[in-house]
Formats: sequence, structure tokens, C-alpha cells
Amino acid sequence: MNRFLSKDFLSGLMFIGFGLFVLYYGQKLAVGTSVRMGPGYVPHMLSYILLVLGALICVIALYAGGETVEAPKWRPITLVTVGIVAFALLLESFGLFPALVALVIIASLGGDEFKLTEVIGNVIVLTILCILVFKVGLGMNISILQGVW
Amino acid sequence: MDLLSNLYLGLSVAVSLQNLLYCLIGCMVGTLIGVLPGIGPVATIAMLLPITFHLPPTASLIMLAGIYYGAQYGGSTTAILVNLPGETSAVVTCIDGYQMARQGRAGPALAIAAIGSFIAGTLAVCALVFVGPAFAKFAVSFGPPEYFALALFGLALSATLSGGSPVRGFCMVLAGLLLGLVGIDTVTGVERYTFGIMEISDGIDLVPMLMGLFGIGEILHNLESKDGSTLVSTKIGRLFPSREDWRESRGPIGRGSVIGFLVGLIPGGGAILASLMSYTLEKKLSRTPEKFGHGAIAGVAGPESANNSAATASFIPLLTLGLPGNAVTAVLFAGLLIQNVQPGPLMLVKSPDVFWGVIASMYVGNIMLLILNLPLVGLWVQLLRVPFWILSPAILLIAILGTYSLRSNYTDVVTLMIFGAVGYVLRKASLDAGPLIMAFILANILDTSLRQSLLMGDGSMAILFIRPISATILLLAAIVVGTQAWQYVRGARGGIAPGEITS
Repeated sequence: MNRFLSKDFLSGLMFIGFGLFVLYYGQKLAVGTSVRMGPGYVPHMLSYILLVLGALICVIALYAGGETVEAPKWRPITLVTVGIVAFALLLESFGLFPALVALVIIASLGGDEFKLTEVIGNVIVLTILCILVFKVGLGMNISILQGVW
Repeated sequence: MDLLSNLYLGLSVAVSLQNLLYCLIGCMVGTLIGVLPGIGPVATIAMLLPITFHLPPTASLIMLAGIYYGAQYGGSTTAILVNLPGETSAVVTCIDGYQMARQGRAGPALAIAAIGSFIAGTLAVCALVFVGPAFAKFAVSFGPPEYFALALFGLALSATLSGGSPVRGFCMVLAGLLLGLVGIDTVTGVERYTFGIMEISDGIDLVPMLMGLFGIGEILHNLESKDGSTLVSTKIGRLFPSREDWRESRGPIGRGSVIGFLVGLIPGGGAILASLMSYTLEKKLSRTPEKFGHGAIAGVAGPESANNSAATASFIPLLTLGLPGNAVTAVLFAGLLIQNVQPGPLMLVKSPDVFWGVIASMYVGNIMLLILNLPLVGLWVQLLRVPFWILSPAILLIAILGTYSLRSNYTDVVTLMIFGAVGYVLRKASLDAGPLIMAFILANILDTSLRQSLLMGDGSMAILFIRPISATILLLAAIVVGTQAWQYVRGARGGIAPGEITS
């Protein structure tokens, strides 16, 4: 088992990275003193503690080992991302219905199986639901099909 | 009599047709998401927040509260029948509930879980009526130092008690606090970490963040894991428990209700902690501890009662102190603020209709849930046959449209996607996002109360330790953190990998 790929070690690295990110982009914020705190005082203090704790997690993980992270499956991740982007792009220029169809089909492809009839059923139910909740219920200013409704 | 007139006011609010309807919707949605593994109350409440902005505060809080305690009912169904916790607090129910189902006693297990939840929920609401106002009266004397101490206590507890290693919990709290700093600093007026994006100069918007962390992150995680929908075709069988079962469950239900209520009162405690404690206690008290793990009905009755009672009791710190104690109530807190209702000691005076209306709705909701869960349990079980890839587009759609409906801008959608990725990574690393969210929401309270305390104490921190109540709370927090850290260090030295419990 590779100890550098354990969940603990990687999350420790993540916290260190986040702490460094905050410090780097917070350089310009004045720190001040504890009596007269500048806008950078709290972020600096918090990220120092985060760095220390992150390092502690890493060290313990190397020493004690731990569960290894499973490799991510890229298919669902990519398809869900593409689905959301497609939805966002289609919504304003073509309307809710085309955007919805695209999202549901693309996101359904991310699963293990794909049955066309069930996806079509899903699209119909979700379209009705969305029109009722968001268009009628919330009065959202979106068109269902651009130029038609 | 004051109490009676208050209850009357509450009931008259709760039984209005509109509020009954929202209570029913809340309970149904709560049961639904409780039954479905992979989507919890935090994500659901976050997704429904945009809708509640168009409702009056009472109706929306009634509905959202119904989701929280309804999920505690529904979670047990999945735990017993499929050995998967439908909701995190049902983890404990899996142990004995599933064993009962395998022995053909799924019916009594489901029934005792629902009845135990009902009794505990009702008892907790009764206690809430008395304890709530007392809490509020006590809390009126709280100043900024006490609030600071309480908020810190809540964060420390949520970091250490949420399961897994306390160090990781603390890192999540720190990350949440840092995220809460984004935006214009209230004192100096300087923009912090906005990167010139106008939309986040007021801070990162909570709703897309929540939907990303809990909704999208959860979908990605679930699409990856294969065992999404393998329903074992267990016969539910005879529903009603035998006299023997009743005798064995009476004590656990009573004790579970009390434990749950007390745990729910503590900031940082939550339903899962309550059910774990109840299980441990019942196992210790039992004359036949060897039966635990092999289908002991006490191991279902106790924890199920405890988690319901805790869910109800956690409304006390939320409504009377204005301090959310766990991730779910933190989200409710944010929802109330957007509705311009300030939860806290003054809520009883300023908006008694909201306060008593919500409490009274919990009585009604518990009855609804008993009806929804006992005779209709077969219907909910059918839902487990719905494969996850059918559900995931629906959840995605509601998340995006809900986010977009807030302000009709794409910055929110981008926020949603970024936090979706973060939520997925956190799940991969088995990090619980609950403490992060609590810290994010409490950052504001901590900041304000600390500054006010420092002003009161002429710039000296000593004021926090001089005032008896805040000093006591801080001492308690230090003790809890200290013991947890000590156990952690000992555990690490013993070669046990820390952080094995995942949410």
C-alpha cells in the first residue's frame, strides 16, 4: 500500500494547499496587531493554524498509514460537467425545454445503464415539474421554448 | 395561563390549511429523501431554499423542519431493509435492524422504529414547549462574550464529535471560517478574496455552495459507487410487534428519547451522536448484550427514538439562542435570516407566531409521519427500486434551476459547479462537510461577537474568561477537545488509523 496515496495524507496536503492559497492571495491585506486587527489578521492566523494541522495530518498518515483513495471514474464526472455546461448555454438562447432535454440525456449517460424509454419518461415528468414549480409557482422569467412560450 | 395561550396560538397557526399542506409536503419529502440513500436533509433543504423565499417564514420553516425530522423516520426503512443508511443517523439502525429483516422480522423492526420515533418525537416536542421559553429567558442575559463562547463551543464539538479524526474536523472548521471571510470586511471595508468578482463582494452565496457541496458532490459520488440499487426482496411480513417485542422496546424508547433530547440541546451534537450513544447504553444495560448485532429489537428502538428526539431538540438552540448546533439547523438558520426572521431570544417576543407555529406543527407532523410510515411503508420501499441514474438528472436539474432562480446570474451556477467539485473531493477523502458549513455560517456570529466583546473589554481578551458563563462554556469546550485529542493521540500511537468512520 502506498502511504502517499492514503486519504489522510492527501487531505492533509489539500489543507496545506488551501492555507498557502489563502496566505498568497492575502499578502496585500494588512495584518495589524491583536488590539487593532487589520483585514488580514484573521485570515493569516487561521491559515497558519490550518498549515500546522494539515502538516500534522500528513505526518501521522505517513507514520500510521490509512485507507487508500479509490481512483476516480472520469465518465460520470465528465458527463455531469458537460451536462451542466450544456444546460447553462442552452437555457438563455433556446429555452428551458431544450436545455432540460440535453441535461437529462447527458447526465443519464453517466450512469451504468441507459434505457431510452425511461429517459424519455424522465424528461416528460421533469419538464412538467419544472414548469409547474419554477415557471408557474415561482414566476421565474424563463422561456420554455425560445420564441414560442 | 401563558403557556396554554401560546400553545393555542401555535396550534391555530399550524392547523391553517396552508401550513398543514406545507407540513405534509415537508414530511413527505423528508420521508422520501430519508428512504433514498445518497441524498440527505442538508442537500434537500438547500435545494428547497430558493422555493421557500416565496413563502411566508412560518410556512417555510414548518416545511423545512418537517424535512429534517421526517428524514429521521425514513432513514430507518432503508437501514432495516437494505442495510444501507438512508440517512446518516440511521447507521446504527443497520446493525440490528438488518439482522431482524434477515430473520424475517422486518415488519416489527419497521413498526418499532416508526412507533419509537413517534413517541420520542412527541415527547421531545412536549419538552420543547417547556424548555424552549426557559432557554430564551436564560439567554436574554447573554452578551457578546457568551455568544462567542457558545459559537466556539459548537464548532469545537462539531469538529471533534462528527466522527473521524478531530484534527481533520478542525481543518474543515478552519476552511469553513476562511470561506466565510470572503467579501467586504465589515469593519475596514476592504475586499477580501473576491478577486474582483462583484457578485461575491457580499460573501459566497450559501445556497449554490450548499447545493454544490451536498447535492452535486453527492451525485458524483453515488454515480461512481456500483451498489446503488440492489434491493433485497425481503418480505416485510407481519407488521405489528409481539408482546415480547413491546416489553423489550419500552425501556429503550424512553431512554432513547431522553438521551436524544439532551444531545440535541448541545451545540455540535446531532442525531447521529444521539443514536450512537443510545445504542451503546442499551447494549450496556441489556441483560442479553450478546443479542446485539444479531437482531435485538432494543438496538432498533433505542437509536431510532434517540435520533428523532435529537432532531426535534436541536431546534431549541436554533430558535431560542439563535445558534445552530449542526449542519441542518445551520442551513435553517441561514434560511430564516434571508426571510428576515432573526432567530434568538427575542424571537419569542418579536415573532411568537413563527416560534409557536413551528412547534405546534411538529405535533401535527409527527402524527402525519406515523401514518405515512406505518401503513404506507410498502410504497416507500418501492422507491428503492428506482435506479440512481434516473434520480441524478432530476437532482441536478433542481439544483441548477434553483440556483439560477435566485438572481438569474451565472456566477451562482459557477459557484455551484466549483463547490460540486469540492464536495466530490471531500467525499473521496471521507471528509465530512458538515463542520465546514457550520463554520461558514457561524463565522459571522463569531466575528461580530468577538469584536463586540473586545470593545466591552477595552481590547482585552480577558473579558471572555472573567464572565462566569462564558468562562464555563470555554472550559467545557477545552475539556471536550482535550479528551478527544488525547484519545486520538493514543489511538494513533496504537497503530489504529485515524478517521475510519465516514459519514
